[in-house]
Amino acid sequence: MQLVKQKNKTVAGAIAAAALSLLGNSAKADGEFWDFSRDWKFNSGILYYGEQDRVSALEGVFSATHEKDLDDKFNFKIVIDSLTGASPSGAVVQPGVQTFTRPSGKGQYTVNAEEIPLDDTFRDTRVQVNSQWTSPIWDESIVSYGVHLSKEYDYLSTAVNGNIAWNFNQKNTTFSLGLSLAKDSFDPEGGVPIPFSSMVIDMGQFANPTEFETAFDLTRGTTSEDKETLDILMGITQIINRKTVMQFNYSYSDVSGYLNDPFKVVSRVDQDGIALEHLYESRPDKRVKQSFYWQAKHYLTGSVADISYRYMTDDWEIDSHTIDYKHYLTLDNNQYLEPQIRWYQQSAAEFYQPYLLEQSIIPENISADTRLGEFSALTIGLKYGWRTDSGNDMAIRLSYYEQSMKDSLSSHPGVLNDLQIYPDLKAFFIQYTYDF
Amino acid sequence: MVKIDKTEFGFIGYFNAMASPCECLIETENYQTALAITQIAADEAWRIEKKYSRYLKNNVCAQINQSNGAAIAIDQETFKLLDFANTCYEISNGLFDLTSGVLRRVWHFNQNTELPSQKSVEELLPLIGWNLVSFDQKSVCLAPGTEIDFGGIGKEYAVDVAVQKIKEYKPDLSVVVNFGGDLRVTKKPKNKPKWNIGIDSLLISKIEHSVSIGVGAVCTSGDTEKFILSNERRYSHILNPKTGWPAEGCPKTVTIIADQCLQAGVLATLGMLMGAEAEAFLTQQNVQFHCQR
Amino acid sequence: MIKIIPAQINCSIILKVLMILCTLLASGCSNLGVKPWERDLLAKPEMALTSSPIEAGLDEHIYFSKEATSGGRSFAGGGCGCN
Repeated sequence: MQLVKQKNKTVAGAIAAAALSLLGNSAKADGEFWDFSRDWKFNSGILYYGEQDRVSALEGVFSATHEKDLDDKFNFKIVIDSLTGASPSGAVVQPGVQTFTRPSGKGQYTVNAEEIPLDDTFRDTRVQVNSQWTSPIWDESIVSYGVHLSKEYDYLSTAVNGNIAWNFNQKNTTFSLGLSLAKDSFDPEGGVPIPFSSMVIDMGQFANPTEFETAFDLTRGTTSEDKETLDILMGITQIINRKTVMQFNYSYSDVSGYLNDPFKVVSRVDQDGIALEHLYESRPDKRVKQSFYWQAKHYLTGSVADISYRYMTDDWEIDSHTIDYKHYLTLDNNQYLEPQIRWYQQSAAEFYQPYLLEQSIIPENISADTRLGEFSALTIGLKYGWRTDSGNDMAIRLSYYEQSMKDSLSSHPGVLNDLQIYPDLKAFFIQYTYDF
Repeated sequence: MVKIDKTEFGFIGYFNAMASPCECLIETENYQTALAITQIAADEAWRIEKKYSRYLKNNVCAQINQSNGAAIAIDQETFKLLDFANTCYEISNGLFDLTSGVLRRVWHFNQNTELPSQKSVEELLPLIGWNLVSFDQKSVCLAPGTEIDFGGIGKEYAVDVAVQKIKEYKPDLSVVVNFGGDLRVTKKPKNKPKWNIGIDSLLISKIEHSVSIGVGAVCTSGDTEKFILSNERRYSHILNPKTGWPAEGCPKTVTIIADQCLQAGVLATLGMLMGAEAEAFLTQQNVQFHCQR
Repeated sequence: MIKIIPAQINCSIILKVLMILCTLLASGCSNLGVKPWERDLLAKPEMALTSSPIEAGLDEHIYFSKEATSGGRSFAGGGCGCN
């Protein structure tokens, strides 16, 4: 088959000429070229958390990241949060009205009959700053290190962390090893209570305020305490196939020092269930935790499934399981919907007791803090995200969290059998994030 | 959705577009530049795919092919593409024809498929023919049943446009824009005499040996995997629009090295359609080529 | 003064886990994975293991102050007085 030869031109030449005319000399292309002010990426968020009749919190985060070369970044983050409201003090519910002394020793509060005692001592604002530096090191490895600082009116936390990650198999496998050291110090108003000392409550038995103060001071030991934490985190991240990636982490954590919650007490009750006194709690001065964490993300057409499981065990005899599932559903126009569900279960610490029986020997450690008790919790949430006209990402998320405590005691003394001993926890939280 | 890796010559940016793995090999020390260049190439590829892919609904391609004889308004870019296809049709005496896409209804190039019947192929021939397309600067009108398939030039066009934009952005850098094996180099590299595509790139190449190229475009037509084997005869997936069948005795693949990707692409297609005469035809064209048989 | 490595750390547990991880790495992981250009889907922001660090941090703070477990995905230390 002969092809027409243009005069003095080959077919190839003619096509080349036609291509040039198609491509032309385009005027400045529409759409922007790379804007170098995008060197900095910002992420921000605000969360409101509210429990039914109890604590509410507002937390805001602002994070800035500068990536000057591949894997060479600097991140700065600031967090401000503020807590108000009341949380359970650990004292047991009673059929009558109760009065308690505030942790500072200044003032009292009363609790209605048949209500679980909540301490509504005002907690105030906390500010936290973090800096993290990341850079490549050797071939195929990345090192990262950072500092953390958090300050509340009675609490200071400082920490440093370091981490190295090695890439193998054309970046399909990453092994990482990290270490974090923290030192926290606590300076509660009114001083640190002496464990097992009995709460002094002014019911009119003191002739004057000074006598009360003297008695109160006898329950106070040091003015401040601290604790140190060592965390080791090891992990493997593995790309399984084009649509699946998994991560497996092991972490070991050792915290020692002052681990009590100075605001919490345990009630000592008689065989009728009536509280005789409230003792400041006592926890061990050391806690070693280990956890095993696995996560997988899988791409489906138009959506991404994200599932994770964590098992934690420690030397306080607490074991916990956490299963978290999120399903990211892509919608048109850069919008998405992400339902989330989280199920959590923990066993009680060995020294957890909702109250102490009068005739029992006082154990070495005791706490009625429900956060150390046996319970399961469920969170369900829905997140909706969209892209603004200027190409930035926003999202809102609404979640509901509920804890149900398990009563592992078969019966309770006297009046306590007819009262609700374990507090319910029902909370919702709403979050807004903006990335730009 | 673009990923960047550091290499000894600079950076490689990877992404997926037009159902193919795509990459940019960039000779630079600067990570931000490599990211920007890869993003420019990816954005162009995705833009053109969104506009002209026959797999999407409601885009320009779908509007044209569902017009059922009505005139469809077109923009300047679409007009220029149709004009280019028109020139190639005339120069090639009708061998290069974007209306031949309907043949995919009867030709399926999976493993172990059978040849279509002569009758089913003949039924489609009346719908094929660039003469059934009339267009001007503002609109295009197809005879009912006729379809335009931009697949024959889409990737090559995307490579050339991406190269153009990258040259405007960073005129001094040597960048290889490679969309699934159809590639072009913006400028001769500084730190070495030529790009060694089989070695610098990790993309699977359709061609068996690697190509060394200083500047220019490389395009390959045909496929070592997409064909039908029947009665010990190999049927390539490049079909002659006049007969509805592939050329007899055509090579497995034809690779062309030329100035632009569009030019290399059309020549590679024409080479395949020349069948047994492929080498003779291409020699006359004064371009570097390689036929795999 | 921070006690750097408390004597009571159970080193044998850490070493055992490290060995298991290294064996996993050496044996199974080399067959798994993708070619560089096949990382397109994995490069999508929603496929990152922690796709929203801000959200992860906010949740971690809530759960740290209401439950006895923290960390797993990242360092367990709480860094605040809420527990």
